[in-house]
Order: sequence, then structure tokens, then C-alpha cells
Amino acid sequence: MESNKDLSNKFIAYYSSLVGKEISLLSFERIFGGASRETYKIHIKDQSNLQEKLILRRTQKSSLIETSQSTEYLAYSAYQETSVPVPLMIDINEDQEILGAPFMLMQQLDGVAASPFTPDVYSPNEQKLGEQFWSILGEIAKKDIEDDFINQFDNTGNPCWKQELDKWIAVIREDSISVEPILEAGIRKLYENEPKESKKKSLVHGDYRNGNFLFMEDRITGILDWEMAHIGDPLEDLAWALSPIWSWQDQGKPAYMIARQEALSIWEKVSGLTIDENDLKWWELFACVKGMAIWISAGNEFKTGKNIDPINLFSPWIPGDIHLEIILNILDEDLN
Amino acid sequence: MKPEINIALMNAAQEILSRFSPMIEDEYEQSRLNSWGALILISAMKFNQSYSSLVEENKSMISWLTKTKKNYSKELSAEIDNVVVKENVEQNILDEYNQSLRRILIKAHIEIDLLDDVKNKRACLQLLRKMHSHRKVSDLIGMLQQADS
Repeated sequence: MESNKDLSNKFIAYYSSLVGKEISLLSFERIFGGASRETYKIHIKDQSNLQEKLILRRTQKSSLIETSQSTEYLAYSAYQETSVPVPLMIDINEDQEILGAPFMLMQQLDGVAASPFTPDVYSPNEQKLGEQFWSILGEIAKKDIEDDFINQFDNTGNPCWKQELDKWIAVIREDSISVEPILEAGIRKLYENEPKESKKKSLVHGDYRNGNFLFMEDRITGILDWEMAHIGDPLEDLAWALSPIWSWQDQGKPAYMIARQEALSIWEKVSGLTIDENDLKWWELFACVKGMAIWISAGNEFKTGKNIDPINLFSPWIPGDIHLEIILNILDEDLN
Repeated sequence: MKPEINIALMNAAQEILSRFSPMIEDEYEQSRLNSWGALILISAMKFNQSYSSLVEENKSMISWLTKTKKNYSKELSAEIDNVVVKENVEQNILDEYNQSLRRILIKAHIEIDLLDDVKNKRACLQLLRKMHSHRKVSDLIGMLQQADS
């Protein structure tokens, strides 16, 4: 088994060569919870004692979500030095020999990330953080995307909703290890009630939620984890971030920050887009089905022994159960 | 009288969380071990109910499918007749039986949804909720948070 020491030695050799100077290591630590890439916090210094903090994201042999690192890199690159705070990208490397797997390197931002399952974690700054959280999402939705940028992402030619729904249903069909009537009812509902095709196509983050941003007191310092980025309907990100799973123990405040209506007003104002309530409802149900695809995929990894990281057991157990309950709540509401 | 399996699991989780985890310096390995401790704790809490929950869930599905059989197509009714006659299902095939019943329930739900019968639609959702409540472990989310802290 490869140790942190082996990897850190390889890293030092690689980075010294990249920057053309001798560097030494102050610390090299893996961060727990990365579902799609192994993530390492690295602290280094050069001979003149100039220090640098970096983040290394290395592709895993078996990951919760199979995603291309070039997509993630592309998404980060689109927001360099904009009002959407993202880390400065340093390198992307597909060579498996250098660090044992493809990887990308970026500067480390200050701040901490909180668990999406912990209420009150943003207190007493939830108002200010909430305003920024929904405003940044509005900025992401507002950004105009050039055709040559769009062409670098997968595109089936189908409407956004169908492209995304088909993609995740394929994951469910491939990885399911049990029959789930609640999920099937949710899937039927989505196909029977298609939303309108979005007039505006945006770069969709794909996993925009509490837990995927860094903050320092009352300021959001970075939006992370763009590995599921794609071109699509901006309502997709909005619905995912609003999903009650991310505020399960205090559902009046999506993402454990500010009230839903206030969040929607901020998003509309910043993005310049108008929310169609029915379409948003569709995307909110979609969020549950997409979530289920991710949790099912994790459960499959765990059950088949491909990756027994406890996150792959936690995912189908806790988020999986919660998303099924939300699907039931949505189906119930529709009958009333 | 020997200690039950759930007690053994609970004690193992407690040892992991309070004795072994603090000895680990590497933050990643410590977080990973804490997660295992919490998941073992959940397993211990749910262990005793898992068999009876499955039996109860199967009974609920059989009862509902039999009660609403008159609403379904001939093919589905025949399928219900075939599957629900099994009685005293052995433990090792209980889950397999559960999956068969769930497959039939999906077909029944599709046919119910085609009817203009809100009462039955609602009853079907109630059954799904009851089944979910037998199985879910998400009610123990607070325990995970405690272990995490």
C-alpha cells in the first residue's frame, strides 16, 4: 500500500521540477470525505523560506462519482479572478507515472468547510453567508458561456433536463443493488412531467451546496468541488442547493442559512433570470433522483468491495434514506 | 445467558470512538475510524429490528396487494396470486422474497396511477412511507454528529 510518505516524496520531485527550484515539505495531509478524488493539503517552502499552501486532487481508482478531471479543471478555469471565488489553478496532469494517477494542483484558499448535516454550523453569520451563497449561485447562472466553451462538455443534443435525467437513470440502472419503489415512482413522475427547456444555458456547478464552500467567519472564500460541472439549466443548481437534504434538521432555512423565499429573491436579482415555479419543482424532484443515483453508486462500490471507504456506506444509509423521504413528500404534496 | 450481538457491536463502537481514535495522530485516518465507529453504532441500534422489519414489510405489501387486487390487470393479478401464496418464508430467502414483492408493488403503483382514484393513490404512498420507516437509518443522524464531534 502506498503511504503518504511515498506520495509526498513523489510530489516534491514533481513540484520542484515544475517551478524550477528546490522546495521542501512542511506538511502533507489527506483530507477525509473526498468522494471523487483523493484530496491533499500541502504546505511547502523554498530555500528563501517562501511558503506556499497547495491542494492536490488525485483521481481515485474507484470513486463515488466517476468524473473527468479535465471537466473540473475547465470549470475552475472559467471562474479564475471573477466574483465567483475559486482557487487559482496551477496544473493538470494526466500522466499516471508522476504521482500514480492523474491529478490537478491548485492554490489552497483560506477558510473551512462545514458538514452539510450539521445545523447551526454557520451561526451567528448565517444571514451574511446565506446572502453570499445564493448571490454567488446567481453569478454562476448569469455568466454567459461561449460556444467553444460549451463544445468542450458532453452534449447529447437532447434538452438539458433529458440529458441529465437520462445520464443519472443510467447510473441507477447500472449500479442498483435492490428494488426501490419510491425511487421508481419519482423517476416516472419526472418523465411524465417534463419541464420547459431553459432559454439560458449556464455552466452548472453540479454539486452546489453547503459543505462545498469555504468560509471565514461571515465571508465565503471559495466555491469547491466542481467535478460534476456541465452545461445545463441554471435551475438545476438552484434546486440542488435548495434540497431539504442539506437542511434536514431545520428545513425552514435551505442550506442552514436563510429562508427559501429570500434565497430565491437574491438568486433572481443577481442572475437576472425569472424562476418558473413548476420547472423549479421538477428540478427539485430531479435533485432527489440524481442524489439517489450517487448514493446507489456508492453503495454498489461498498457492497462489491471495490471501495470500502466508510463514506460509501454512509451515503446510501443516511443521504439515501433522506432523499427517498423527500421524494415521498413531493409525491404526497402533488396529491393534495 | 451470553451478551447479544448488538451489545457486542455497541461496545466495539464505543472502544473505537473513545479509546482507539484519540490515539491516532493522522487527521484523515482518525476521521475515517470515527466514521466506522459511528456506522457500527448505527448497525448495533438497528440489528435487532432488521429481521422483524423485513417480515413486517413483506406482510404489509402482501396485505395491500391482496386488498387492491381487483384494480389491476389480469396479468398483474395472476402475478400477485403467484407470489403471495408463499408462507413461512425462510430467513435466507426473506430478502429475495421482499425484492419480488417490491417489483410487483412497482407494477401495481403504475396501474394505480393510471386510475382516477386519489384514495388508492394516497394509500399506496402511505404503504411506501410505512415500508420506508421500517428500513430507514437516517433517524440516527444525530448519533453520527455526536460521534463526529
